[in-house]
Amino acid sequence: MEKSGLLPVLDSSINEIRRISGGSSDVLINRFVTGGIHCALLCCEGMVSTSVITELIFEPITDIPEKHSAAELFHYINEELLLSTDRPEVGDYDTLFRLMNSGFAVLLAEGMTTGLAFGVQGYAARGVDEPSGEGNIMGAHEGFTETVRVNMSQIRRRIKSPELVMELFAKGSKSYTDLCLCYMKDRVPESLIEKIRSSLDDVELEAVLTTGQLRPFLENGSFEIFDSAGTTERPDVLCSKLIEGRAALFVDGVPYAIVVPRLFCESFQTLDDYAFKPYYSTFIRWLKYGAFLAAVLLPSFYVSIVMYHPELLNSTLFMLLVDAEKKAPMSIVTEALFALLMYEIIREAGVRLPKPVGGAVSIISGLIIGDAAVNSGLISTPLLTMTALAVLGGLVVPELNPQITVLRFAFIIAGGALGLFGISLLACGVLVNICATEDYGFPYTAPLSPFKASGMRDTAVRSSVKKMQSRGFTVEEYHE
Amino acid sequence: MNSISRYQLAAMLIITDVFGLFCLSVSISLMTLYGLLSAAAMQFLLSLISVLHGGRSAKWQHIIYLLYAVFCGGAVFASLWRTSGVIYIPYEDRNGIWGRLLTAGLIALVCLYSSSTGLRAVSRAAVIAAAAGLLCIIIDFASAAFTADWENLFRPEKQGFFYGFARGFAVSGGLGSFFVLLEKTRGERSRAAVLYFGAKAVLTAVIVLTSLAVAGGIVSVTEFPVITAAQLSQPFEAQRIDSLFLVIFISFAAFSVTLQVMTGAYLLKRIFPEFSRWRSCTMTVLILGAALLISGRELIMARAAAAAAVLIVSAAAKNPLKNSADK
Repeated sequence: MEKSGLLPVLDSSINEIRRISGGSSDVLINRFVTGGIHCALLCCEGMVSTSVITELIFEPITDIPEKHSAAELFHYINEELLLSTDRPEVGDYDTLFRLMNSGFAVLLAEGMTTGLAFGVQGYAARGVDEPSGEGNIMGAHEGFTETVRVNMSQIRRRIKSPELVMELFAKGSKSYTDLCLCYMKDRVPESLIEKIRSSLDDVELEAVLTTGQLRPFLENGSFEIFDSAGTTERPDVLCSKLIEGRAALFVDGVPYAIVVPRLFCESFQTLDDYAFKPYYSTFIRWLKYGAFLAAVLLPSFYVSIVMYHPELLNSTLFMLLVDAEKKAPMSIVTEALFALLMYEIIREAGVRLPKPVGGAVSIISGLIIGDAAVNSGLISTPLLTMTALAVLGGLVVPELNPQITVLRFAFIIAGGALGLFGISLLACGVLVNICATEDYGFPYTAPLSPFKASGMRDTAVRSSVKKMQSRGFTVEEYHE
Repeated sequence: MNSISRYQLAAMLIITDVFGLFCLSVSISLMTLYGLLSAAAMQFLLSLISVLHGGRSAKWQHIIYLLYAVFCGGAVFASLWRTSGVIYIPYEDRNGIWGRLLTAGLIALVCLYSSSTGLRAVSRAAVIAAAAGLLCIIIDFASAAFTADWENLFRPEKQGFFYGFARGFAVSGGLGSFFVLLEKTRGERSRAAVLYFGAKAVLTAVIVLTSLAVAGGIVSVTEFPVITAAQLSQPFEAQRIDSLFLVIFISFAAFSVTLQVMTGAYLLKRIFPEFSRWRSCTMTVLILGAALLISGRELIMARAAAAAAVLIVSAAAKNPLKNSADK
C-alpha cells in the first residue's frame, strides 16, 4: 500500500486513487464544488449508509458559504459543522483506503494534502442473536456478532465501569482487520497486558479471518494438547472473565472473543451454575467431570479389560460380554475404532452439509447404519453402548470436544495394544502435558495443581454466591 | 529448573517411596512396620542436619547423589519387571528380555517426555497422581476396615525388626532427590522435611496395616504382600477394582523413574556445566543399564546401604565460604 502523502492537486489525487485501487468498481468518487472549492467525496459502495451520507454529509456540506481557500473550508467543516462523531484526519493513501474500506467517507479538496474522514458505516451485518454453541437456560440469550463495535457495545452495556478499557487496532497487512483488546485496568496487571501486546506485535499475517489465526500467538509455543487461550461467544460470560482479571481480544468478522488466560476447570463451568442452587450446580459439575473421563477413557477401558484383564469383570458381566463379542467378526480394537470413526464421519457430514440435509443425514446414519451394523454382527451391542456413552459424554463438555476426540482414539490404541499398562502410561504423558500447559505464567491446571484451597470453592463445589462475593477473586491469585 | 512448593516436592518423593512399598517382597508383619517407621524416623533426624545446615551441596556430594539416582532408577525398573507376573503387562511375560525392554522402553519414553517439560510440570502432575494414589489407598483401607480380620496383625512373624529397618532404607528411593530438589523448594526447608517424612510415615503405616489385615493369612506365602492385598481388598462383592490399583501402580512407576531421570539430569548439569544437551537421555540410558544389571535381584541390603550413604553424605560438613559464595 502507498504510504506517500496525499497529492495537493485534486485531479492527480483522484488519478492516484484510481491507480492504487485498480479502477475497482466499488470505489465511489463524487466530485462537487462547495464554498467555491473543488472537492471529492470518496466512499466504498456497500460499506456506508446511503441515507446517513445523504442527510449528514451531502446536505450540509453542499450548503457551505463561499470560502477563500480549502484550508478555510476544512476548518469550517471541522469547527462549525458536526457531520459525524468519528472524524479522523487522513494524511496518506494507506490511511485513506483503510478508512474508506472500513465504512468511512473521505473528503478531499483542491490544494489540500490532508483529507477529512467521516464515520458513516452502514454495511449489512447479522444482528444480535442467540449463541449457537454455548447453550444457557437461565442466562441472557444474546451472543456476539461479526461486528467488532457491536460486540464492544455489548460488553460496555454490561460493565459500565470506567476501568473497562477497549483498545482498538488493526492487524493483517492486506485485511487490516480491526482487533479490540479488552480488559479491566484495575484487575489485570499491566505486565500481563504488555506481554499480550508484545505477543500480538509478532503477528505478521496478511489477513486475520478467524480467532484461530491469532490464538497461536497468544499461547505458549510448546506442544500443548489443550488450549491455554479460550474463546466465548457470550457477552455475559466474557464480562465475568473480565471481572476475574482476564483479558479478551475481539476480531472483526468473528462472533467469538479470545480469553486469556484460560484454565482447565473453566471448561466445566457455565453461567447457569450460578443460577441454580449450589447443591445442584455442584452435582452438575461433578457430572461433567465424570462425563469427561468417561468420554476419554470408557471405550479404552472396555477394550483393555475385555482383551487383557477379564479377571476384573464379575462372572455375569464376563459371560455377557463373551457372548456378545464371539459373534463379532473383527477384533475388539478394530470394532471400537470402526464405531468411533463411523461416528466422526457422520458428525462431520452433519456439520458440513446444509442444515436441513445435515439433520437428516445424522438421523439416517445413526438409525440405519447403527442398527444395521449391530444386526449384521459387525459391531457388538456392548461396544456400541460404550462408544455411544463416550460420545455422549464428550458432548457434555463441548469446549474440549477436539481434545476428547483425539485422546479417545489414542487411549483405545494404547489400551488395545498394551492393556491397562498402555492406558496408564499414556495417562501419565497426557497428565504431564496438561500440567505443562501454561500461558503468561498461569498454570492451566490451577487451582487443582498448584493447589489453591480458596479456588476449590468454585471448582470442586459451587459455593453460595453470598460467600463468593466477598472474595474479590482475580485470576492473578493463580499466577506462578 | 524452576522453584516448586513443598507439597509438590513431597508428592514426587512420596510417589517414589510408595512405589517401593508396593513392590515389597517376602513376608511382612508388625515388626516390619516398626522397622519401616523407625527407618523413616532415623532418616528424618539425619536429614535434619543437612536441612538445618542449609547451603548448597558440594560437587563430590552431587556425584554420590547422581550414582544413587541411577541405582534407584534401575531398582524401579527391576521391581517393575519382578512384579510383572502379578501385575499383568501384555507382551512382557511372553517375550522374555524383549518384552522387558519394550515395557522399559515405553516407560523411558514417557519419562523422557515428562522430564523435557520441566520440574514444575512434573511436580504439578505428581500432586494429581499422588492424590489419585491416595484415593486408591483410602478405598483399599476402607474396604479392609470392614472386611478384613484385624487379628491378622498379630500373627507371628518370620522377619525381625532389623530386616524391616533395612527395608525402610531400601524403599526410600526419593532420599537423594530430596536433598537435591530441596534447593529448588520455596519456603522453609525444615517444613518440607517434616511434611515429606510425616506423610511417608503415615502412608507406610496405612499400607502395611491394610496389607497385613487383608492378606494376613497368606502373607507368608505370597510373593508381593502389598500387591496381593490390593487384589484381595475389594469394596464391592461382585466387582473387582484392581484396575484402579493397576493404573496407579504403573503411573507411580513412571513418576518414580521420571524423578530419578530429572534429578540425574540436573546433577549432570551441575557436575558438568558444559554438558547441556541429551542429559535426560544419558540418564535414561544409565538407568536402563543399571536395571539390566540389577534385574532379578531385590538387593535390600545394597539399597539400604546406598540410602544410608546418601544420608551420611548429605550430613557431611560443607565449606561455609563456598556456600556463602554460592548464595
